[in-house]
Amino acid sequence: MVVELISSRDRTRARELIEQSGLRFEENFQTLVGVFSGGTLVATAARDRNVFKMFAVRADFQGGSLLGELVTELVRGGYHAGFQSFFVFTPPRTAPSFRALNFTPLLNHHKVSLLEYGNGLADYLEKHRPLVRQGQNGAVVVNCNPFTLGHLYLIEEAARRVDHLYIFVVREDRSIFPFEVRYRLVSEGVKHLRKVSVLDSSDYAVSGVTFPSYFLKADDDSQALQIELDLVLFAKHIAPAFNIKKRFIGTEPYCRTTRLYSEEMHRVLAPFGLETVQLQRKTRDGEAISAFRVREALRREAYQTVQRLVPPTTMEFLRSREARAILERLQSQQRRH
Amino acid sequence: MRIRQKAQAGTMQSSDLMVFLEPGDELRIDIDSTVKKQFEHLIRQQVETVLARHGVTTGHIRINDRGALDYAIIARVEAGLKRACE
Repeated sequence: MVVELISSRDRTRARELIEQSGLRFEENFQTLVGVFSGGTLVATAARDRNVFKMFAVRADFQGGSLLGELVTELVRGGYHAGFQSFFVFTPPRTAPSFRALNFTPLLNHHKVSLLEYGNGLADYLEKHRPLVRQGQNGAVVVNCNPFTLGHLYLIEEAARRVDHLYIFVVREDRSIFPFEVRYRLVSEGVKHLRKVSVLDSSDYAVSGVTFPSYFLKADDDSQALQIELDLVLFAKHIAPAFNIKKRFIGTEPYCRTTRLYSEEMHRVLAPFGLETVQLQRKTRDGEAISAFRVREALRREAYQTVQRLVPPTTMEFLRSREARAILERLQSQQRRH
Repeated sequence: MRIRQKAQAGTMQSSDLMVFLEPGDELRIDIDSTVKKQFEHLIRQQVETVLARHGVTTGHIRINDRGALDYAIIARVEAGLKRACE
């Protein structure tokens, strides 16, 4: 029987089992479950939001029903927590065991396989089918924290170079402006443009899925690997569905992670026949416009500067009552993104 | 009967299935199965029969099957319905 492991003693046992299996124990999870036999823990697994991880089954219990039991329990808990589909990142050699449990492979990399339980990706594509346009289309993936004249410029320039432009707004809510607001400001800011569509990136572009690195070796660069997987996912599943042939990015002066991402993009997308187009950023007062710059100005309450960096739609929001709480948080907090 | 709330029944063990039910404006049945190619139509038929027997005409039902036999499908769908319609 699968039970939830709550006590620190049980968690220590789980950690030992995971480490004995050559994996690393990660602290971030919502649920840790396990199976005991004769007083010893023989199988364990964890769920972090919609990601399953740290599956470990003692060697003499492998090949039986335990994996199915663990998955059942994690699916049950995750479903009640409001998730419809689930991801599992595993070493490629264990991917077949998950396929037998009806997980669909989303991508295979020589270091990691990503599989999905449920129809998340298919549902996502189905939901957006009305937006599909024929032609040579393009895509930008943007966070827009918040939407600036720089974003608008990038989008306008990109839209001129393709038949239709898809604007994927990053779903992940780690930004000071919540997704709903970011999405709305983008939609309002591009309303005057024909031939563009604004979409929720969901978990499939610059994913909010926390990439677990529990099975990677210490010298593997998990950040670089995550970026690569993210781009392959885009190239394999998203781009073909929307006839996307070009992906646009702005030159990145500030953020190291974003710059690393841009550099990887050329390398990873090319083999899929996708062109990466880097566009020079729009400048104002001799400096590139960025959301970072806007946030800094907001922090200093330099609203005249802000006004020079954002479109009227964003400015209107920043002046609204709704924005007040966000601005207060921004001023009390120092964050990178 | 009417599906009023989210509910789930069954397991991912071999020869079993998991059923997920949610309220919805129309009837939608999604089936995922390790034997989907061969048996999707028969699984669907079983699910539809159970739903019809209970007069369920709306809702979103997802089946994740690992080669369950008919009686298991019927039992799991019924259990799920009872939880969803309470």
